[in-house]
Amino acid sequence: MHDFTLKDISRRGFLKTTAGLGAGAALGAMLPSAPALAADKTLDMWWWGEQELPGLQAFVNSSIAGYKEATVKAMLQDTAVVISQFQTAAAAGNAPDIQYLWNGINHMESVWFGYLRELDGLVNADVVTASNPTRLSHFGGHVYRVGWYPLPMLWVYNKKLFEQAKLDPNAPPATWEALLDACEKLKSAGVEAIGGGIQDGYWSEWYISHALPQNLDSLGEAVELFIGDKDFRDPKYHEHWVKLEELKTRGFLNKDMSSLELYPGIDLVAAGKLGIGQTIGTRLPADLKTADGQLGIMTMPLYGKGKLAGVPLLDVQGLGISANAKDPKAAAAFLEYLHSPERLKAFWDATGWIPSNKNFDTSVIKNDTVRAMWEKWGLGQNISNVTNVMPGQFYERAAIPTGQQIVQGSMTGEQAGELAAQTAKEWRDFNPDLVEKYRKWAVDLSSPT
Amino acid sequence: MQARPDPSIFPRRGFTARFVQRRTMNASSRFTPYLYVLPLLALLAFVFGYPLVRIFEFSFKMVRGVDGPWIGLRNYELVLSQSLFWESVLHNLQLLLAIPAMIVISLLVSILLYERVAGWKVYRVIVFVPFVLAIPIIAVVMKRMFQFSGPVNEVLRWLGLDFMALDWIGSSDVALWTVMILIIWRESALGIILFLARLLSLDESLIEAARLEGASWWQRVWYIILPQMRGVIEFYAVVSVITMLSAVFAYVYVVGGGRGGPGTSTVVVEFYIFNALIRTSLPGIAAAASVLLFLVSVALIFPLFRARRLANEQEA
Repeated sequence: MHDFTLKDISRRGFLKTTAGLGAGAALGAMLPSAPALAADKTLDMWWWGEQELPGLQAFVNSSIAGYKEATVKAMLQDTAVVISQFQTAAAAGNAPDIQYLWNGINHMESVWFGYLRELDGLVNADVVTASNPTRLSHFGGHVYRVGWYPLPMLWVYNKKLFEQAKLDPNAPPATWEALLDACEKLKSAGVEAIGGGIQDGYWSEWYISHALPQNLDSLGEAVELFIGDKDFRDPKYHEHWVKLEELKTRGFLNKDMSSLELYPGIDLVAAGKLGIGQTIGTRLPADLKTADGQLGIMTMPLYGKGKLAGVPLLDVQGLGISANAKDPKAAAAFLEYLHSPERLKAFWDATGWIPSNKNFDTSVIKNDTVRAMWEKWGLGQNISNVTNVMPGQFYERAAIPTGQQIVQGSMTGEQAGELAAQTAKEWRDFNPDLVEKYRKWAVDLSSPT
Repeated sequence: MQARPDPSIFPRRGFTARFVQRRTMNASSRFTPYLYVLPLLALLAFVFGYPLVRIFEFSFKMVRGVDGPWIGLRNYELVLSQSLFWESVLHNLQLLLAIPAMIVISLLVSILLYERVAGWKVYRVIVFVPFVLAIPIIAVVMKRMFQFSGPVNEVLRWLGLDFMALDWIGSSDVALWTVMILIIWRESALGIILFLARLLSLDESLIEAARLEGASWWQRVWYIILPQMRGVIEFYAVVSVITMLSAVFAYVYVVGGGRGGPGTSTVVVEFYIFNALIRTSLPGIAAAASVLLFLVSVALIFPLFRARRLANEQEA
């Protein structure tokens, strides 16, 4: 029998074989793959959040594994590119079907560029409402996000230090005068009264989120400050910075506040080294453990006269459907699936945190403080984070630096108002095309929530 | 004996054939070198040229997303009229003050190592370590050390030097100087290695002769060593100028809390560009500032190289 060797392959034979293999490969690529046969719809989902809520990756994985209506391909995004990566892909027509969206201007710009679909009539209205996408996801009467998980923003105080200063640990200060009195007593007891860490700037942002609304009747009024209909030089619009200056000049802020970052600053309260601070709900379960349960929560003490004064603050992270989505209904179905009762419980099991859904069974929350927080901040009346309506230019140039400079004593509250007004004008000069968009958005933001 | 070539291999040809062959060879030999470097040129044009052209183009547009309408010089007007931009420029210029310190420190340390103090090889490795480590790593460590309640201030307070325990990273008056300290510490390592390499290549007999003639240490350094190191010092100075103008982002980003803070006290032009592009969605503004930085860098660096060339010519 003749042994076949490479020498037996003629040029014609080689070309024939190659062409045959190529055609076979091309045909094979066109045939549906095995998983695709199981679920012929494929959805791409770009998401973020494992960075701030460990366990979210496990929830996403289990959701994808358990979903039978489509094959979902998820990609965890890097923090720095959540917005730019999506916008670049959308401009090129290659955006994923489902996109993670931070609140307010962080996704509204994509709405204005036409990169996101309105969800009205696409996602079940009951699901959208229960998920609380917040007023900041509305534009032109349409909603563009489904809420995913909430971020209650609150003030926290150390009960042990309150006792040490002869303050009632179960009655946190409710007014500005009461706060000053509490700070005085804490200081007299040798305790650093209030503050945290502002070196990375976020404390400054959070402070504005709590304080600026005290003199606002709606979040739309905040937008008017940027488009020039209202002015930060008006004392009521920079009173919050004057109040911060008061805390500084009276020596109530912790001495290392300017050189500490946000989270190490919050750690001081949990560790019993600082009386009062700002925090975020997702930290509360762990901080309560650190402080042996000796932490109390409160809204910012009142000084303002606006309708939003004293209303708990709740930011919500969300998901939306891109304009490039090939099958928007399939994408909408997956978002609805994430809000099914079984998935809401899975969310809690995976993350130890509450999903953004008013129908979530809160009986699974064992800690009383955490449950009380959710009932007040999540289920009661709440407002969104006002810094989410700030243009990025204002946020970087005014919102962050003003707080830092007041805390280090190099700027007054009034000067902060001056800088804010100047920066708002600068933003209008740099972005004449966005001013009208903001003006239209203010209408949605001023509607009753 | 060398073998002669077989004449049959090189047949004689006529004039026309030789002329055509020479013309053909001349034409092809003229283009051949360019053909060899063409792929590399194309690659360079793609990697550097294309982005540069796009940046210039973007600087004349109001870019939203990936493109936008042509608006002439408006972006330049906005950038040049913004106080933050000029503040950033001033901070870059302030950082240039670090260069003389870096040169002096590098020279002193490298000469001491050259003198072969006991354990000099170990010291050589130690002083170069900062340059090997990534900037964010050393910046994070230094940031912790310079916190108001950090180790540096703790030591100062322990020594009774409370007046020196400053808010190194939390005060607008001090933060840029803290960045400068960090830059001097890390970037001097490169200077030390460059200078030491040059020192080790010097003719030691000259220095030995000076020593025998009774020249002091300072005289040997000033009259023998430094003149021979002029070239490498100039090179290091040029590299440092480029660094201070366009390669300090990582230092500023980490020490300034990712914000160029406190306030805007550590914002440099690179950070201004980063903020415009990434955080405030203004690619046109970022492009205009980048073009300005590019032009200023070129305007500064070319005279430096020209001065160096003239000096070389004079020496020759």
